[in-house]
Amino acid sequence: MKSMSLYVDLDTWLTRMHPFTKLCYIATAIAASLIGGKLWVFGVFIGISLGMLVSGKIIKKVFPLIAFSFTILITIFLIHGLFNHENVTLLFAAGPLRFYREGMLYALRISCNVLNMLLAFAVFVLTTRPAELVEDLEQIGFSPKIGYVISSVFQIVPQMSGTMNTILDAQRSRGMETEGSLLTRAKSFLPLISPVVMSSLTNTRERAIALEIRGFEAGEKKTYLRDSSMKTVDRALCVCMVVLLAAAVAVRVML
Amino acid sequence: MSYISVEHLKYRYPNTERLALNDLNFEIEKGEFIGIAGENGSGRSTLCQAFIGLVPGFFKGAYGGRVLIDGTEAGKTPVSRMCRKVGLVFQNPFNQLSGAKETVFEEIAFGLQNFGVPREEMTERVNEVLGLLDIEACRDQNPFDLSGGQMQRVALAGILAMKPDVIVLDEPTSQLDPAGSEEVFAAVDRMTEAGITIIMVEQKLEKLAEYCDRILLLHEGRQIAFDTPERIFSRPDLEDYGVKPPICTRLCRALGVKRADGCYPASHEEVRKLKTQFPEESLFQKKCVPDGKTKGQEACGGEVFQIGHLNFRYQEGTPVLRDVTLSLDSRSTAIVGQNGAGKTTLVKLLKGLLKPVGGSIWYGGEDMAGKTVAMLAGEVGYVFQNPDDQIFKYHVLDEVMFGPLNIGMKKEEAERHAREALKEVGLENLAAENPYDLELSERKLVAIASVLAMDTRVLILDEPTIAQDWKGRQIIGGIIQRLEKQGRTVVAILHDMDFVSEYFRRVIVMARGQVLADGTREAVFSRKEVLEKARIEEPSLMKLCKMLGYEKAYFQLKEGEEV
Repeated sequence: MKSMSLYVDLDTWLTRMHPFTKLCYIATAIAASLIGGKLWVFGVFIGISLGMLVSGKIIKKVFPLIAFSFTILITIFLIHGLFNHENVTLLFAAGPLRFYREGMLYALRISCNVLNMLLAFAVFVLTTRPAELVEDLEQIGFSPKIGYVISSVFQIVPQMSGTMNTILDAQRSRGMETEGSLLTRAKSFLPLISPVVMSSLTNTRERAIALEIRGFEAGEKKTYLRDSSMKTVDRALCVCMVVLLAAAVAVRVML
Repeated sequence: MSYISVEHLKYRYPNTERLALNDLNFEIEKGEFIGIAGENGSGRSTLCQAFIGLVPGFFKGAYGGRVLIDGTEAGKTPVSRMCRKVGLVFQNPFNQLSGAKETVFEEIAFGLQNFGVPREEMTERVNEVLGLLDIEACRDQNPFDLSGGQMQRVALAGILAMKPDVIVLDEPTSQLDPAGSEEVFAAVDRMTEAGITIIMVEQKLEKLAEYCDRILLLHEGRQIAFDTPERIFSRPDLEDYGVKPPICTRLCRALGVKRADGCYPASHEEVRKLKTQFPEESLFQKKCVPDGKTKGQEACGGEVFQIGHLNFRYQEGTPVLRDVTLSLDSRSTAIVGQNGAGKTTLVKLLKGLLKPVGGSIWYGGEDMAGKTVAMLAGEVGYVFQNPDDQIFKYHVLDEVMFGPLNIGMKKEEAERHAREALKEVGLENLAAENPYDLELSERKLVAIASVLAMDTRVLILDEPTIAQDWKGRQIIGGIIQRLEKQGRTVVAILHDMDFVSEYFRRVIVMARGQVLADGTREAVFSRKEVLEKARIEEPSLMKLCKMLGYEKAYFQLKEGEEV
């Protein structure tokens, strides 16, 4: 079954790191660079994130994300470089297009911010199994019901696409043309919707019974297969990041 | 007082008139193995749900009397409390999965997590049931990726791991290969030694007779009898309740072999004890074997499918079919073999739903590679394993007319075909119903009718006998015989060897993506090494006759013989 999450199943120090530590890193990377305000701070965090992605062997998965974000960033450079209302100092001109220093700097700041967030989140999303995160959240007191809803979405959406393929198979088995031109395929899509929804609804009732008989509402404190407590390294890293944040605030306030 | 007692239990589903359970009274002792027999619609599944309180707790409706389990009243206790005492395994394993776990291991642990079982114990228990049900190999797979039979094992494992005092099983082995269902029976039977009470609904009466202490016979919601297997199956009126006695009982009845208490034996073990009372083979032949020569081995009607060096895989590195070369003609053909052997994959390739990775499939002299599934729909009909995968209309009649309309029949013609097909499967009265409201067994018959109505040259059936009672099996058997007589090709995947030996002329045995044996039932079922490798069993009658020392292989008894 295809997975809906972006998690890459590798055994690296990043996948073994506690999800909370990675969340903590996202917060630090974003907050510290915003508070710090200097462009070089962004550079540092982007560098750290890239380094983590490389050592976590998932840098290749990030390229498409970066490429996609570049298409947006380039338009930001164009718009602000050309039209920002604070534009005074001419930086360079390309034919009739005049790019200004103020607008370009502004665009650079936005770009760094976007790239920083993107990479920090990539570190988290690509190396954390959603189920694991949900379990860890449940263990610190998150409602198991909401937890179930979240993790079941990751299972049930791909399963619905499986149901869709099966029903498609059933329909073409009985003579409905579903292969060929785009129009044929589009036409075959509509009659799919109602049976897929219908069968999902029927399944919901059955699943409610299944949860019930497997003690989901037993009211007991749940136990978990994995030990989710943070390791010393994780704790140390979190403390470091909090200190770093505090330092950033202090520097900003005092200077 | 008994461990479980059911007193004047009555129940009616909301918005219905008929009582689904009508005044049941019986008692069960701790550690007993109880079977529930009866035709479809006799209230067996409803009774299963009453043990855990889903009836009336979840389904509402009118409820009377009471079910006491170890002093707890099931009807008045929330399911969340009852589930500590009583475990229920559904008929359809797909619906039993939690839908939130990514691996089989976590799926089985789900119930234990909810009960707050400590981690070490949880891991230990899950490992134990993985071994017990022989599914260690798929512990890290996604439960939804498993084959029907494997999923059924996972669903069962999820309940066994919770260690309830009472386990209620609703046809737990319907999709398992013969060796697999024997393993499940044996595993469940061992649990009774530890004081666990087992209540099981099952169509395989041979197995019920062998393992059960007592059997509850239901008919239209009423309790007909609750007694030992021998007494139940020796009842002369059994067939009036839609139940066909197991082969042992039928044979003994035909030959007049009785136990000292006047009952006919119901299990192999019992027959063995009375072995000396059975006649010589020649007398047995005269009395019990139907006349008429068995049809031969020769191919007939020309080749329909020509499969050459077929290879297939879903994922790189895990071949599902390996170099299969076969030709299929108009003989009715059964494909048998263990769960996960590649049977469904093979027939999906024949239908064109999958495309070969290597090799070729020719249909009627043309390579199938150049055709779409819809182009062949009027030629090759395919009934899915799970009817829910196939049904998508809101009225039975529309569902059955869908195919005929698509292959170019006029509306009146399509309706005529559809009604004929529904009549043949015995559902003509349900034409206006919504298929989603029907029982699993009826939905399966609707699925068969919807393909029959297309009047195709080839009919492929994927486990047609799932959830069918004796009547349903006879209907399906009748369809196979009619089609064969008309020169159509029937190909079916089956786990029910008795059904195979009764209705099919050619048997193909598959294991691990390859064809192990191919021939008549006589030829195939006599090859012990093949049966073992493919995890299948000899048909019951053949096994029984062998035990009695008869030399030839027999597959059918004369009908209606009484001594």
